[in-house]
Amino acid sequence: MESTLEQHLDDTMKNPAVVGVLCTDQQGHNLGCRGSLSDEHGGVVSVLAKQAAALTRDLTDTPTVCLESESGNILVRSHGTITIAVHKITS
Amino acid sequence: TAALTAGLDRIPDQLGYLVISEDGVLASAGELENDEHTASVIMQMVRTANRFRLSGSADHFRSPGSEDVPFKRMSVLEDFVLAVTVSGQKVFVVKRQHAHP
Repeated sequence: MESTLEQHLDDTMKNPAVVGVLCTDQQGHNLGCRGSLSDEHGGVVSVLAKQAAALTRDLTDTPTVCLESESGNILVRSHGTITIAVHKITS
Repeated sequence: TAALTAGLDRIPDQLGYLVISEDGVLASAGELENDEHTASVIMQMVRTANRFRLSGSADHFRSPGSEDVPFKRMSVLEDFVLAVTVSGQKVFVVKRQHAHP
Protein backbone atom coordinates (compact mmCIF):
# COMPACT_ATOMS: atom_id res chain seq x y z
CA MET A 1 0.00 0.00 0.00
CA GLU A 2 2.81 2.35 0.90
CA SER A 3 4.44 1.76 -2.44
CA THR A 4 1.30 3.03 -4.22
CA LEU A 5 1.44 6.24 -2.19
CA GLU A 6 5.17 6.59 -2.81
CA GLN A 7 4.52 6.13 -6.53
CA HIS A 8 1.84 8.86 -6.48
CA LEU A 9 4.22 11.22 -4.68
CA ASP A 10 6.93 10.54 -7.27
CA ASP A 11 4.46 11.01 -10.13
CA THR A 12 3.29 14.33 -8.64
CA MET A 13 6.89 15.55 -8.45
CA LYS A 14 7.29 14.86 -12.19
CA ASN A 15 5.19 17.93 -12.90
CA PRO A 16 7.83 20.65 -13.51
CA ALA A 17 5.83 23.24 -11.55
CA VAL A 18 5.68 21.04 -8.45
CA VAL A 19 8.63 21.40 -6.04
CA GLY A 20 7.13 19.72 -2.98
CA VAL A 21 4.34 17.39 -1.95
CA LEU A 22 3.20 16.15 1.44
CA CYS A 23 0.60 13.69 2.64
CA THR A 24 -0.54 13.77 6.27
CA ASP A 25 -3.24 12.25 8.47
CA GLN A 26 -5.69 14.17 10.68
CA GLN A 27 -3.17 14.29 13.53
CA GLY A 28 -0.50 15.84 11.34
CA HIS A 29 1.57 12.68 11.09
CA ASN A 30 3.56 12.58 7.91
CA LEU A 31 2.49 9.72 5.60
CA GLY A 32 4.92 10.65 2.86
CA CYS A 33 6.60 13.70 1.38
CA ARG A 34 8.94 14.90 -1.35
CA GLY A 35 10.97 18.01 -2.12
CA SER A 36 10.44 21.25 -0.20
CA LEU A 37 7.73 19.85 2.08
CA SER A 38 8.82 17.68 4.99
CA ASP A 39 7.87 16.25 8.41
CA GLU A 40 7.83 19.66 10.06
CA HIS A 41 5.00 20.91 7.80
CA GLY A 42 2.55 18.09 8.56
CA GLY A 43 1.05 19.74 11.64
CA VAL A 44 0.39 23.12 10.06
CA VAL A 45 -1.03 21.54 6.90
CA SER A 46 -3.51 19.30 8.72
CA VAL A 47 -4.61 22.08 11.11
CA LEU A 48 -5.10 24.53 8.25
CA ALA A 49 -7.32 22.05 6.37
CA LYS A 50 -9.35 21.38 9.52
CA GLN A 51 -9.84 25.09 10.23
CA ALA A 52 -10.87 25.79 6.61
CA ALA A 53 -13.56 23.10 6.84
CA ALA A 54 -15.24 25.27 9.51
CA LEU A 55 -15.80 27.98 6.88
CA THR A 56 -18.27 25.94 4.83
CA ARG A 57 -21.92 25.53 5.69
CA ASP A 58 -22.02 22.02 4.26
CA LEU A 59 -19.74 19.95 6.49
CA THR A 60 -19.16 17.41 3.70
CA ASP A 61 -17.54 20.10 1.56
CA THR A 62 -13.77 20.29 1.64
CA PRO A 63 -12.31 23.64 0.69
CA THR A 64 -8.88 24.13 -0.85
CA VAL A 65 -6.53 26.48 0.96
CA CYS A 66 -3.89 28.31 -1.07
CA LEU A 67 -0.97 30.12 0.55
CA GLU A 68 0.55 32.45 -1.99
CA SER A 69 4.09 33.72 -1.44
CA GLU A 70 7.27 34.81 -3.22
CA SER A 71 8.38 31.19 -3.33
CA GLY A 72 5.22 29.87 -4.96
CA ASN A 73 1.85 28.55 -3.89
CA ILE A 74 1.12 25.91 -1.28
CA LEU A 75 -2.20 24.19 -2.01
CA VAL A 76 -3.83 22.23 0.81
CA ARG A 77 -6.87 19.98 0.52
CA SER A 78 -8.32 17.10 2.51
CA HIS A 79 -9.61 13.87 1.01
CA GLY A 80 -11.41 11.93 3.71
CA THR A 81 -9.02 11.44 6.59
CA ILE A 82 -5.88 12.43 4.71
CA THR A 83 -4.66 15.88 3.73
CA ILE A 84 -2.47 16.67 0.75
CA ALA A 85 -0.24 19.73 0.34
CA VAL A 86 1.40 20.61 -2.97
CA HIS A 87 4.05 23.32 -3.32
CA LYS A 88 3.94 24.81 -6.82
CA ILE A 89 6.19 27.49 -8.15
CA THR A 90 4.67 30.21 -10.27
CA SER A 91 6.36 30.56 -13.64
CA THR B 1 -14.72 53.76 7.74
CA ALA B 2 -13.57 54.64 4.18
CA ALA B 3 -9.90 54.45 5.21
CA LEU B 4 -10.51 51.28 7.15
CA THR B 5 -12.05 49.31 4.30
CA ALA B 6 -9.12 50.29 2.05
CA GLY B 7 -11.21 50.03 -1.12
CA LEU B 8 -12.48 46.50 -0.38
CA ASP B 9 -16.00 47.68 -1.18
CA ARG B 10 -14.92 48.60 -4.72
CA ILE B 11 -13.53 45.16 -5.61
CA PRO B 12 -15.43 43.75 -8.62
CA ASP B 13 -17.71 40.74 -7.88
CA GLN B 14 -17.19 41.03 -4.14
CA LEU B 15 -20.02 39.45 -2.14
CA GLY B 16 -18.83 40.83 1.17
CA TYR B 17 -15.79 41.73 3.21
CA LEU B 18 -14.36 41.77 6.71
CA VAL B 19 -11.65 43.86 8.34
CA ILE B 20 -10.44 42.15 11.50
CA SER B 21 -7.95 42.97 14.25
CA GLU B 22 -6.93 41.00 17.34
CA ASP B 23 -9.74 42.85 19.14
CA GLY B 24 -12.44 41.68 16.75
CA VAL B 25 -14.31 42.81 13.64
CA LEU B 26 -13.55 46.43 12.68
CA ALA B 27 -15.68 46.57 9.54
CA SER B 28 -17.91 44.19 7.60
CA ALA B 29 -20.42 44.18 4.76
CA GLY B 30 -22.47 42.01 2.42
CA GLU B 31 -22.55 38.27 3.09
CA LEU B 32 -19.83 38.67 5.73
CA GLU B 33 -21.66 41.40 7.63
CA ASN B 34 -21.25 40.76 11.36
CA ASP B 35 -19.94 37.27 10.55
CA GLU B 36 -18.07 36.69 13.80
CA HIS B 37 -17.72 32.97 13.07
CA THR B 38 -15.87 33.46 9.78
CA ALA B 39 -13.79 36.24 11.38
CA SER B 40 -12.66 34.00 14.21
CA VAL B 41 -11.87 31.02 11.93
CA ILE B 42 -9.89 33.27 9.56
CA MET B 43 -7.89 34.70 12.49
CA GLN B 44 -7.07 31.16 13.63
CA MET B 45 -6.01 30.25 10.08
CA VAL B 46 -3.77 33.33 9.80
CA ARG B 47 -2.09 32.31 13.07
CA THR B 48 -1.66 28.74 11.78
CA ALA B 49 -0.33 29.89 8.40
CA ASN B 50 2.13 32.20 10.20
CA ARG B 51 3.85 29.12 11.55
CA PHE B 52 4.46 27.79 8.06
CA ARG B 53 8.09 28.20 7.10
CA LEU B 54 9.88 26.54 4.23
CA SER B 55 13.36 25.66 5.45
CA GLY B 56 16.08 28.08 4.42
CA SER B 57 13.71 30.58 2.89
CA ALA B 58 12.34 32.30 6.00
CA ASP B 59 14.03 35.58 5.14
CA HIS B 60 13.41 36.05 1.46
CA PHE B 61 9.84 34.94 2.02
CA ARG B 62 9.25 38.51 3.09
CA SER B 63 9.30 41.30 0.57
CA PRO B 64 10.86 44.54 1.85
CA GLY B 65 8.55 46.56 4.06
CA SER B 66 6.01 43.79 4.29
CA GLU B 67 4.68 42.37 7.50
CA ASP B 68 6.13 39.39 9.22
CA VAL B 69 3.87 36.86 7.51
CA PRO B 70 5.10 33.98 5.38
CA PHE B 71 2.47 34.55 2.70
CA LYS B 72 1.27 37.40 0.51
CA ARG B 73 -2.24 36.10 0.36
CA MET B 74 -4.21 33.14 1.63
CA SER B 75 -7.25 31.96 -0.34
CA VAL B 76 -9.94 29.51 0.67
CA LEU B 77 -11.62 28.08 -2.42
CA GLU B 78 -15.05 26.52 -2.31
CA ASP B 79 -18.28 27.51 -4.07
CA PHE B 80 -16.93 30.95 -3.18
CA VAL B 81 -13.43 32.36 -2.70
CA LEU B 82 -12.26 34.00 0.50
CA ALA B 83 -9.12 36.03 -0.18
CA VAL B 84 -7.20 36.97 2.96
CA THR B 85 -4.36 39.50 3.22
CA VAL B 86 -2.57 40.88 6.27
CA SER B 87 -1.49 44.51 6.50
CA GLY B 88 -0.37 46.27 9.63
CA GLN B 89 -2.26 44.79 12.55
CA LYS B 90 -5.29 44.16 10.38
CA VAL B 91 -6.56 41.18 8.43
CA PHE B 92 -8.56 41.90 5.28
CA VAL B 93 -10.99 39.29 3.95
CA VAL B 94 -12.96 39.51 0.71
CA LYS B 95 -15.59 37.02 -0.37
CA ARG B 96 -15.95 36.66 -4.13
CA GLN B 97 -17.77 34.40 -6.52
CA HIS B 98 -15.67 31.42 -7.55
CA ALA B 99 -15.15 31.56 -11.30
CA HIS B 100 -15.28 27.89 -12.28
CA PRO B 101 -13.16 27.24 -15.36
